[in-house]
Amino acid sequence: MSTVETTPETVAAEAPADDGQLKRTMGRFNQWDTPWLNPKLLTGAAIIGIILLLGVLGRFLWDTDLAYTASSPLNLPPPGFVNTRGQEGIWEHPLGTENSGRDMLAVIILGAPNSFLIGVVAATVGMGIGIVLGFTAGFLGGWVDELIRLISDVTITIPSLMVLIVIQSALRQVDISTMALLIAAFSWPSPTRLIRAQVLSMRESGYVQMAKLSGSSTRDIMFREMMPNLIPYLFASFIGNATGAILAAVGLETLGLGPQRVPTLGGTIYDAIQSAALLRNMWWWWGIPTLLLATMFIGLLFINLGFDEIANPRLRRSSQ
Amino acid sequence: MMSTIRRGLTLAIVLAILSLTIGVMAQDVAREDTVIFDIDSSQIANPTNFNWLVPGTLRNHGAHQAMWEPLFILNYETGQIDPWLGTSFDANETLDVWTLNLREGVKWSDGEDFNADDVMFTINMLLGDETATLAEAANMQQWIDSIEKIDDLTVQFNLKEPNPRFQLDYFSVRIWGSVLIMPEHVWAGKDPFTFTFYDEEQGWPIGTGPYTLTSAETDRMVWDRDDDWWGAAAGFQDLPEPLRLIWIITSTEENRAQLMSNAQLDSVMNLTLGAFEAIQARNPNVVAWFPELPYAWADPCARQMSFNTQVAPWDNVNMRKAVSLIIDRQQIIDVAYEGTTTPSRSFFVQYGGMEPIISAIEEAGMTLSPTADVAAAQAMIEAEGYTMNDNGLYEKDGEVLTADVVVNNSSIEYTRTVDVIVEQLIAAGIDAVARPVTGATHGDLVNNGEFQLSYDWDGCGSINEPWNSMNRYTAQFLVPIGERSPGSNNWVRWDTEGNAAYSEIVGEIGVLPLGDPAIVDMVVEAYQYLYDEVPIVPLVQASKLVPFDTTYWTGWPTQENNYNHPATWWNSTHQIIHNLTKAG
Repeated sequence: MSTVETTPETVAAEAPADDGQLKRTMGRFNQWDTPWLNPKLLTGAAIIGIILLLGVLGRFLWDTDLAYTASSPLNLPPPGFVNTRGQEGIWEHPLGTENSGRDMLAVIILGAPNSFLIGVVAATVGMGIGIVLGFTAGFLGGWVDELIRLISDVTITIPSLMVLIVIQSALRQVDISTMALLIAAFSWPSPTRLIRAQVLSMRESGYVQMAKLSGSSTRDIMFREMMPNLIPYLFASFIGNATGAILAAVGLETLGLGPQRVPTLGGTIYDAIQSAALLRNMWWWWGIPTLLLATMFIGLLFINLGFDEIANPRLRRSSQ
Repeated sequence: MMSTIRRGLTLAIVLAILSLTIGVMAQDVAREDTVIFDIDSSQIANPTNFNWLVPGTLRNHGAHQAMWEPLFILNYETGQIDPWLGTSFDANETLDVWTLNLREGVKWSDGEDFNADDVMFTINMLLGDETATLAEAANMQQWIDSIEKIDDLTVQFNLKEPNPRFQLDYFSVRIWGSVLIMPEHVWAGKDPFTFTFYDEEQGWPIGTGPYTLTSAETDRMVWDRDDDWWGAAAGFQDLPEPLRLIWIITSTEENRAQLMSNAQLDSVMNLTLGAFEAIQARNPNVVAWFPELPYAWADPCARQMSFNTQVAPWDNVNMRKAVSLIIDRQQIIDVAYEGTTTPSRSFFVQYGGMEPIISAIEEAGMTLSPTADVAAAQAMIEAEGYTMNDNGLYEKDGEVLTADVVVNNSSIEYTRTVDVIVEQLIAAGIDAVARPVTGATHGDLVNNGEFQLSYDWDGCGSINEPWNSMNRYTAQFLVPIGERSPGSNNWVRWDTEGNAAYSEIVGEIGVLPLGDPAIVDMVVEAYQYLYDEVPIVPLVQASKLVPFDTTYWTGWPTQENNYNHPATWWNSTHQIIHNLTKAG
């Protein structure tokens, strides 16, 4: 919105003596100097990318039918280890097997992306609803705002885990998408409130007022003028939401309320707990999914921190 | 590194579990005077309800092992019926009048006499239940015409028909429980459907057993020894050594195993082989029925899958047969039981006394293959108009062929078996799903007919004669869907001409003396209907790996010390408790 056109040439002509400042100013236009190339964001994205790649490529490289009951020998450790019965691991099952004859590598290949997918779908749906309701409430105000606020406040107070458990037990079969949608049903109020707060402070900005004066429609102002300014913030919020959704999903799965047959990381931990895997020294059964979940959460945390820095230049400067 | 993490996690879990038990353990009874039992139940929904007559009320949380004593106990090892509150139960020559003699000197824990009036009251209460839904009401009504009090210690049962098994079936802890006599002076005037038999001020519940209730919670029941127990004064038995008995719900195998390996659990109801071996490696004092493989005791309740024969498509006998062919029993044994049991050859338990019956059934051509015949099953499904879709599942008229299998989720034995069955059905083209539910919910669903397929052991009954199991599927117990099946009998709602013929033969078997030579041929004739119409699919024999810890207590039943079987969730546990002695 600046009224004076500033180019590298004019900057150089006006301040030839201050070499350092020139470099810094020039640097801003370096194509690699974009806040989106944030190291934390990239690290997090790489971690999540590797886990997803494992799921995508694994399906082509490994027989995923081995992820189901009675498909492999029971209780085998990874190669190089022995189980409590003295059986040695074999390379046909490089991550071992559990006590119903599921191959752990196949379980991980199917389970890791499944757990992630639940988080992403739930967060997408939750954020989508949150964006629409948050913008509507914040921008329109009045009774619409009060109504949306009331509904979201009420929804936040509902103990979602309890409701999810009841719904889960009523369904014939819980699959990945059902689980994601169930969690999404409780993951929209938080983004709604946060976005509403942002919109409230933003709607008094000059450019919004200007857009209003120039006759832009409410929808255009909300989604064409204001939303682009919130994108880094929305991404950060999205990642936070996805983390929360994965956590909720894993929580349900670990309680035995996840998908019955489709492998998930939480469900695998549940099976391990049910079958005394800790006592039986079957560390590959509970340890590998736990490690993967921890890695996944660390990846999401890095992405979240990265987006935080992109959205907040002060954080970026302090980290530099 | 990994073992350090594992040890850390193990310790954390053990500490968490122990902290749960500390509330009880920290009271004034020492660990070495306490016996701690595990039960594989969900949380006790209503721990202060001791009305065992109402379906769904738990009683194997110590109530019928420590407080309520049976009249008689069937000894699985000797084949004899051991007297307990009753001293004898004799039939006349025509087997339709039975006379019960009660032990002298038996008292309720509140000091009142236990006598013929209590027996009369309890049986009349069951006979008066018009709904026949109170526990044992259907059985009592099936047989008893009237009862008479001869004197304070003698009761005469006049039966409608001769019944050679009357004492064995209902009063001798043949399997799990028996008809429990309730105190008339407490129950008189109470509504048997709503009375909870619990009042701290009045000291309820009461029983004749050597233990009384100390505390009742959703996950534990604590019973303390009554030093004024009648049995010691009457010279029946010495006071048992344990001062306190605790039954706790441990939920997962991990919990059970951790507690037992740390000597915090003296008896576990059932464990997988792997967990048992891991416990033994840590706590060498832990023993089982057999000292080596297969370790497990053969439970009398063979496992089976039952159909709701009133709902489509399982009302079609060919569809039921197809499922039966799909099931690979050997794979269930290999995976779910890790080789510790055997495939069922019929729906009967494979005890020695049943062998002539089972052999006769097999010789008549009614055999069950340990392995599957999926191709034959698929041909049968296709003959019913189903075609396989792109997902490898059968469908007809646009609807995929589904099979929901309800299963009691309280033990990994049950859920693992159903997981294997579900995979077998899916691989054959049936969209099967396991529906794990609590034991009480499972009971409600099947008895009310709100299910498709069920994993259960409800053919359970016969030990050394065939009638008891067969009687459970007779037409007299038929009720429509939505009504509760009387006595949990015939909830598969098998209602065909075949069932009518079956029921008639079973009725005739029921009045013959035990061991009558005509019985075998009659069983074969009746069993043919069951075999042809497949209301149930026999799966495998049940094995219960029941570990005992000898760190604090010895005298547990084992194959060597076989005074009776090791089921500590049965009404016969009184015998075990009296046999326990302090270790060291």
